Amino acid sequence: MTLPAWLHADFTLTDDAGTATAADLVEAGIRLADELPLWGRAGMAATGARAILSALLATEARQTDLFLIRDATTGAEIGYRIEGEAVVEVAPDAPDGTGLVWLQTSGSTGRPKWVSHPPEALRGRIAAGQSHARWLLSYAAGGFAGLQVILSAAIGGHHLLIPPDHAGIGDLAALAVTHRITHLSGTPTFWRAFLMALGAETPPLATVTLGGEAADQALLDLLRAKFPEARLRHLYATTELGTVFSVADGRAGFPAAWLENDLAMTAQGTLAVRRDGRLQDTGDRIALVDDRVLFRGRLDAMVNIGGVKIWPEEVEAHLLQLSFLRDALVTTKPNPITGSILLADLVLADPETQALCEPLVKAHLALLPRAARPAMIRYRTALPTGQTGKKSRMP
Amino acid sequence: MIERVVAELQRILADKGETHGPITAGSLLLDGELPIDSLDLATLVVALEEQTGREPFKAGFRMFTTVGELATLFDEAA
Repeated sequence: MTLPAWLHADFTLTDDAGTATAADLVEAGIRLADELPLWGRAGMAATGARAILSALLATEARQTDLFLIRDATTGAEIGYRIEGEAVVEVAPDAPDGTGLVWLQTSGSTGRPKWVSHPPEALRGRIAAGQSHARWLLSYAAGGFAGLQVILSAAIGGHHLLIPPDHAGIGDLAALAVTHRITHLSGTPTFWRAFLMALGAETPPLATVTLGGEAADQALLDLLRAKFPEARLRHLYATTELGTVFSVADGRAGFPAAWLENDLAMTAQGTLAVRRDGRLQDTGDRIALVDDRVLFRGRLDAMVNIGGVKIWPEEVEAHLLQLSFLRDALVTTKPNPITGSILLADLVLADPETQALCEPLVKAHLALLPRAARPAMIRYRTALPTGQTGKKSRMP
Repeated sequence: MIERVVAELQRILADKGETHGPITAGSLLLDGELPIDSLDLATLVVALEEQTGREPFKAGFRMFTTVGELATLFDEAA
């Protein structure tokens, strides 16, 4: 059996089902490729890193597109488009048979946006790295960051440990210690929790990677102190642009000298990235502080909660579907654990009914992804309004 | 402050319908002893900030692992 050129023969993956070698995964990919025409959205029970890797190999061999569907509970599902027939419910408008990998961006109310990447572009920035590295997957397998970790281990010929579904941060910390994990990548929110969950024993981390949210100096300093031997780096990547840059000097933000060529500050003070010869505005606000460019949140109302992109207005609109609410205001507040958190101020049509309405509000919010549910709900008689008469979005 | 942290934690756990053992100053927050995650912890901090008007994390994340350590951070932020 021949392995694709990018897949290292030494790669192994361990999950609930046991350990698989690179050859096992290719074999599973070939089986999948044979079954492909039979697959439909309803039958896609396969989830997780192992299935995604096999599907990647299968679709590459067949030159069909692979769709990784984000799912709040399972992390990801796999979908295919075969001979022009869309087998996913929300199929993007794409030419057939181009072998692209389609990913969904995260969102507050499950309104997903599809973004495609040629597989070679997903692998583009990954170097072979050192041998005998052991990775632990902390991200959902089907997202951009998860895929980067899976591919990094596969290309490098490393070992990849997949935690069981619903593993908590305490479980992940214990797995990292027992399996002597050397490579770990996570959001700043993940790392804060990971540091708090670690006991006296620490894993022998050689590489500590942060991504998905802006990394603050306090956290970088704590990580440097806890893992003095590790290579500490934070990435700037988006599902749309892929990995843009990596900062390895242990300082928050990035060097001001980088604001030329491929990076620029727009007139509105946001970061723009050059792609295919033109600058694309990321909407991330930046500020120049001495020789450093620091991230200052978003120009639009989007807020990053533990690596998940949330639009407070969408949460507000979701709440206002409840007919007993006269008004709702969802604001954001900085939070040391998850970067930000949502607060909701609600005005009931009839304040007398609060006891009755509270559980209904809670049940209605439970329909949203965890990160989109306000951490605190305050019942008010009226909402604060700004000078323009608009609801004031400042907390 | 400890009592306040414990009471708020109990409220969050009750909200989730979780059962748990006694919570003390020495209880570890995120090592699996208590059935909470980062978002629950964020909720706890927001509730404590709201109740006390204190913001111990204004300058950035600070390390804490137990209920007692979190209470101390709030005490010191007075």
